[in-house]
Amino acid sequence: MNARVEISPQIAVDQPLITCVDLGHVYDSGRGQTTALGNVSLTIDRGELVCVLGPSGCGKTTLLNILAGFVAPTHGDIRVNGSAIEGPSAERGVVFQDYSLFPWLTAQANVEFGLRMAGLAARERAGIARDLLRLVGLPEAGAKYPFELSGGMKQRIAIARALATRPSLLLMDEPFAALDAMTRSSLQTRLIDIHRQEQPTILFVTHNIAEALFLASRLIVMSANPGRIVEDIRVDLPRPRRRTSPRFNELYEHLERAIGLETAE
Amino acid sequence: MAVSRNTVAGLIGTLAFFGAWEALSRSGLVNNVMLPAPSTIVQSGWSLIVDGELPRHLGASLLRAAVGFVAGAVLAVLVGVAMAQLPLLHGTINPLVQMFRAVPSLAFVPLAIFWFGIGEASKIFLIAWGVFFPVWVNTYIGVRDTSPLLGRAAASLGARGWRNFAYVVIPGALPFIIAGLRISLSVALVVLVAAELAGAAFGVGYLIQMSQQVFRVDQMFVGLIVLGAMGFSADLLFERAVRRLLPWYGAERAGQRGGQIERSRSA
Repeated sequence: MNARVEISPQIAVDQPLITCVDLGHVYDSGRGQTTALGNVSLTIDRGELVCVLGPSGCGKTTLLNILAGFVAPTHGDIRVNGSAIEGPSAERGVVFQDYSLFPWLTAQANVEFGLRMAGLAARERAGIARDLLRLVGLPEAGAKYPFELSGGMKQRIAIARALATRPSLLLMDEPFAALDAMTRSSLQTRLIDIHRQEQPTILFVTHNIAEALFLASRLIVMSANPGRIVEDIRVDLPRPRRRTSPRFNELYEHLERAIGLETAE
Repeated sequence: MAVSRNTVAGLIGTLAFFGAWEALSRSGLVNNVMLPAPSTIVQSGWSLIVDGELPRHLGASLLRAAVGFVAGAVLAVLVGVAMAQLPLLHGTINPLVQMFRAVPSLAFVPLAIFWFGIGEASKIFLIAWGVFFPVWVNTYIGVRDTSPLLGRAAASLGARGWRNFAYVVIPGALPFIIAGLRISLSVALVVLVAAELAGAAFGVGYLIQMSQQVFRVDQMFVGLIVLGAMGFSADLLFERAVRRLLPWYGAERAGQRGGQIERSRSA
């Protein structure tokens, strides 16, 4: 199945947030080239919660790194809000798998970091941070340092930190992969709540099929060698989603086939 | 409240050591001028305190150590940061710094006295010199090896330029800088004593030197005890200050990175 989306030449008033055309990335290791990302074309609309699902090496993290501005694509065109990406920016928040909180700052100061970089006054920063700490369910954790927090709490602080500058796009790179199953599932529910309340556009990278099915309003399935999109589906499951529903399992099996898990095992 | 067995054992060992020493000195088996009894040492220490002589020596030593330490540390942090940030500067002066670093700082004592005399200048110079290298090398490594992951996190939150430097690079390097400062505390003490032994009019090192010339072994011991106490309390105060000012230090990532810190050769 080809998931390529044709881009019309004139930009509509409600133009998509992200537009990629023939986007690709080739790593040159010195001992030959690796195509991390083949020719990927896609558009993502505002407010979508897109999960990018695929095995390791399918280029999903490369796609995220390009969107974040950490990696420049070797070819193709990518636009966010109609303009090209020139390095990282507070316009595009990132949540990392390993949290990457600043260990020398309290939770509150971590959340305030982007606002401080933007030059906001201390009082405004504190107000926004308080609201965000409440949003992620940690209103009491502001004075704590990252080393005093559990993995799940750290990741919630990291989400609050990424949301503080009100980015138009929130990029999440396997954010729950390092957490235990119970923490992961409660954070998934919380992320859906946050998405419902704040309506950010989220691109969520994962290799976990159930996670993708539970979260996504749209699901992009990628495959390796070269990294490419093999499926692009709307997930029509009603919320709150039940992992035991027949439709959920049907989609689960379908995705397993799409990723090629069945043939591999 | 239960006292641990180790505490009891340590107490018994210490008391036994000093008891045996006291007995040995009083027994007449050894010359008690060469090996004065602990009680004699305490007495002469007390009289040195009362007549104001010990405070004067201690004050002089502490002032030298503090001024030399601060001067050397500030300069080392500045040079370390600059070298990590400016590759051209690093390329230019790195061979020189490495060359000087290879020479044990105690070897500079005679030269410093020749240049600056036996006054304060030579001592402060020597201490600053000794302190410089461990702080410099740690600062340089700390700033150079800032976590690329935290760098990405900072960049995606809009940190760039001087803000990135002040809020991400420097705090990230702090565990290294602190480790360098801590090593330098003991270096400062070693260099201080060496400089004072080589020639001074005041100072704890001078007290030891002078006592030797007048056969006051008891006073030499007082000097040794004072130096031990200085080193011990400097380290303790430093640790307390760090724990208070940087509560996150020593936990999590800082602890993991601490193990990789390259130790500069000490004086």
